[in-house]
Amino acid sequence: MELVVALGLIVFKVAFLIAILLLLPLPLTWLERKVAGHMQQRMGPMRVGWHGLLQPVADGIKLLTKEDHIPAEADRFLFKLAPILALAPPFVVFVAVPFGESVSVLGTEITLYVSNMNVALLFVFAVIGIEVYGVIFGGWAANSKYAVLGSLRTCAQMISYEIPMGFAVIGVVMLAQSMSLLDIVRAQADVWNVVYQPVGFFVFFVAGLAEAQRIPFDLAEAEGDLGAGFHTEYSGIRFAFFMVSEYAIVLLVSVLVVILFFGGWNGVLVPLPPLLWFVLKVAFFVYLFIWFRFTFPRYRYDQLMAIGWKVLLPLSMANIIITGVLLGAVAAP
Amino acid sequence: MSRAQYRVGTWIGWGFFADLANGLALTFGYMFSRPVTMQYPDQEKWLPYPRYRGHHFLKRDEEGEIKCVACELCAQICPCDCIEVVPYEDENGKRHPAKFEIDTARCLFCGLCEDACPADAIALGQQYEFSSFSSRDLVIGRDDLLAKPGKAATGGGVVAARLNTKKDVLVETEETQGYDWWRNIRRT
Ligand code: SF4
Ligand code: SF4
Repeated sequence: MELVVALGLIVFKVAFLIAILLLLPLPLTWLERKVAGHMQQRMGPMRVGWHGLLQPVADGIKLLTKEDHIPAEADRFLFKLAPILALAPPFVVFVAVPFGESVSVLGTEITLYVSNMNVALLFVFAVIGIEVYGVIFGGWAANSKYAVLGSLRTCAQMISYEIPMGFAVIGVVMLAQSMSLLDIVRAQADVWNVVYQPVGFFVFFVAGLAEAQRIPFDLAEAEGDLGAGFHTEYSGIRFAFFMVSEYAIVLLVSVLVVILFFGGWNGVLVPLPPLLWFVLKVAFFVYLFIWFRFTFPRYRYDQLMAIGWKVLLPLSMANIIITGVLLGAVAAP
Repeated sequence: MSRAQYRVGTWIGWGFFADLANGLALTFGYMFSRPVTMQYPDQEKWLPYPRYRGHHFLKRDEEGEIKCVACELCAQICPCDCIEVVPYEDENGKRHPAKFEIDTARCLFCGLCEDACPADAIALGQQYEFSSFSSRDLVIGRDDLLAKPGKAATGGGVVAARLNTKKDVLVETEETQGYDWWRNIRRT
């Protein structure tokens, strides 16, 4: 009986998570277009529903009913595989991401995470790395020059941001003495990590922008110079997969920033429910992503590589060394 | 402040991303400015200027007689060959068009027919909402042309309007004061 309840809970949590991740892109696209519109003194979508609220639904229906076209010269297997490769990892990653401690429903304690891995951070980085293959394969398989250029840029981009990103979180791990995201949040109960690790946060956030392939680092898409980059040749539901994947990663990076550097669900000053604190913080970072997108121009990919190798990498390494020295100095009596 | 100091200040500013923060502040400010969008046809409608070249119309003289003398000059000059005039002679021996058709699907609204007309009978008016599901409906006959609205009198105004799916865009007010295009545009 115990086992059945536990299993049922896990299945329920996973289903709930998938539903949220699949549905959240709808309001996010609306928000993005609205914010874009108002920043450019337009109104954004206005026709479908109140202030265009139903526009994402209309877009979804359109994408679902459109012809699913595969170019004649494309590598059909890779072409079909790529959207799935892009979509699955962000979903898988959320298995390891906690959203809070626990809530009690009907006398049962329900933890707000699917699993508490002791190597959660490692798992997150390992799995999210796979997502890039979706982008690379998608561009390669389409057999179109714009798509190939998009995926070439992704390769160049990936090697320059993944390493600083990994290094940036080592300082956090040193502070929490654990790789479990739960323990990392618990260690920030008094002071958020961003106070101790401002450089780590900076490096992680910039690398996160590159990870999510958003302006100023959306080189793989670059609608100005590459059509739509790696998904130029995609249409219909496969294109929707890439879109959902993009928003899931934006969400993931925001969640990670909040968990690693902004105290997760630990509140400050105002006593709000922990989950609400968490949602508010994540919402702020998602907004920041959108805000960045409509403020900054795109970097060239040699510039991105220069930033990655010449600025972020030394910074994150210095961050590790200084954190280590300071921790040692504090620990030593 | 000396030049060197200024330069150092700029570098320190870059170090703390002052330029990026400026950009973010600017876009954030714009986010709460009023949009310049004109919500046609849901809420507003733009009235054309007198010089606007919209749908053609045929004029009548003081006696109510059609001005056109069916000389076919407009049909001759039309670069799209979209005017067809068939003349007839009435009991007073005056020429008038028995048939006057303009294929607005082909017309490019150059206004050459208006310029060529010796009788000042045809002109391009202010109507600009005549889309149709069928290109046949865009061939406009003589009587329809006589009924079309003429040149705009004032123009450039924006009036409240609302979409009527059955007929046309309904204009609700008649005030046509000039429209300030810079109304909501921030000048910094
Ligand atoms: S406006 Fe130009 S194209 Fe149209 S009917 Fe007149 S002459 Fe022909
Ligand atoms: S509209 Fe003018 S140019 Fe055309 S046939 Fe009549 S009189 Fe001649």
